Amino acid sequence: MKTRHELTEILDFIAEYATYLLGSGVHTSRAIRNSQRIGESLGVDIQLSSFQRSTILTVRDEESGEALTRVVKIPALPISFERNSDLSALSWDALDERLPLAEIRRRYALLIEKPRIDPIFVLVTVGLANASFCRLFGGDWTAVAIVFTSTLVGFAARQRMQAHGVNHFLIFIIAAFMASLCASVALRFDCTAETALATSVLFLVPGVPLINGVIDIVEGHILIGCSRLINALLLIICIAVGLAATLLMVKDSLL
Amino acid sequence: MIAADILLDGLFAAVAAIGFGAISDPPMRAFPRIALLAAAGHALRFCLMNYAGVDIASASLSAAMLIGFGSLWLGREIRCPMTVLYIPALLPMVPGIYAYKSVFSLIMFLQSLNDPGQGMQYMQLFFLNATVSLSVIALLAAGATLPIFVFNRRAFSLTRRRRGDRTAPEPLERMESHTHRHPESRNSDE
Repeated sequence: MKTRHELTEILDFIAEYATYLLGSGVHTSRAIRNSQRIGESLGVDIQLSSFQRSTILTVRDEESGEALTRVVKIPALPISFERNSDLSALSWDALDERLPLAEIRRRYALLIEKPRIDPIFVLVTVGLANASFCRLFGGDWTAVAIVFTSTLVGFAARQRMQAHGVNHFLIFIIAAFMASLCASVALRFDCTAETALATSVLFLVPGVPLINGVIDIVEGHILIGCSRLINALLLIICIAVGLAATLLMVKDSLL
Repeated sequence: MIAADILLDGLFAAVAAIGFGAISDPPMRAFPRIALLAAAGHALRFCLMNYAGVDIASASLSAAMLIGFGSLWLGREIRCPMTVLYIPALLPMVPGIYAYKSVFSLIMFLQSLNDPGQGMQYMQLFFLNATVSLSVIALLAAGATLPIFVFNRRAFSLTRRRRGDRTAPEPLERMESHTHRHPESRNSDE
């Protein structure tokens, strides 16, 4: 039997935990499963339903039947698979080692404080990735070098704008425009310029929300799955707008 | 020569997966496995499309299923959920070019409203690009998720510590059996 105060503390922690997971790009059923697992370790029943921007969750004490409900805003966090696996592991540890709430909270605080991957390392690997993508689409080595450079420019611009908190639609349009504009120097060289232009913006494609959206849909969370897909679609339109601006400047035609 | 082509395809796909995955901050210990899965999946799709004449959607589905089962097998050792391994490995196969080309064909269709013949061509292009991108994305994610449906017990407990590593005594047997039930059934009976 839990006092009302204890129940509120559990609810507040699970609310923070679940919205952190959902905000950092974990698909819905995993977030629900992890939260319920922590609830189980503390002896309460958790039910939650999630939308794109907010989550409704109820915690219920099995013995007394007392239930509390909260609607919580989902924070806009960068996607992080490391947090995904760490926090999932935390939910198993909570259940297997029967951790008290204070200990779960302490470990949670440690896990979300862990540093992210170095931005410079990300920048270089993204450049290499997009360059090898150009190669996969049949670009020659000149085109590969041009795509590498233009990806560095585009992605660095995206990182800087994200650090300044610019609207993410604007970020995508400007980054796509800058990357493709740099790649358009390929038209001056004797190389596969078409491939260079077409692949220069691919580092922006929101692959994770697209895949997460379909996972949510096939697992039965159709509403939030569609929201994620529509969100990703808007970003793809932004990429197309940025690339179209370059194409109209240098080539006069889109297709 | 064919073998070299396949190997190179796998190699470039692995680099692409690591780079695009790095944007989403995966754990460092997952990188070698992501690269391996991406290389195997992309090379399989390359073979199916170029040597067996399979279309892009079916080839992507096969590749995604390979990646999905691979992530179930490789995730246990490093305590990573399946999605942490398979989403970055799928990223090189996401049809980005088709996706923005469907937006382009729509724009061009709007610009040729006065010329019905030209307009039809752009509409056709739009349907081609949109169909390919939608079906490939849907099949990629669905194919990789399939192992979760087949082996949900194992798939849900990849991040669980093995018994020997735990610091506390075993939980009650009742708790164990309760946690292993499928979430769908749990939702329906409570």
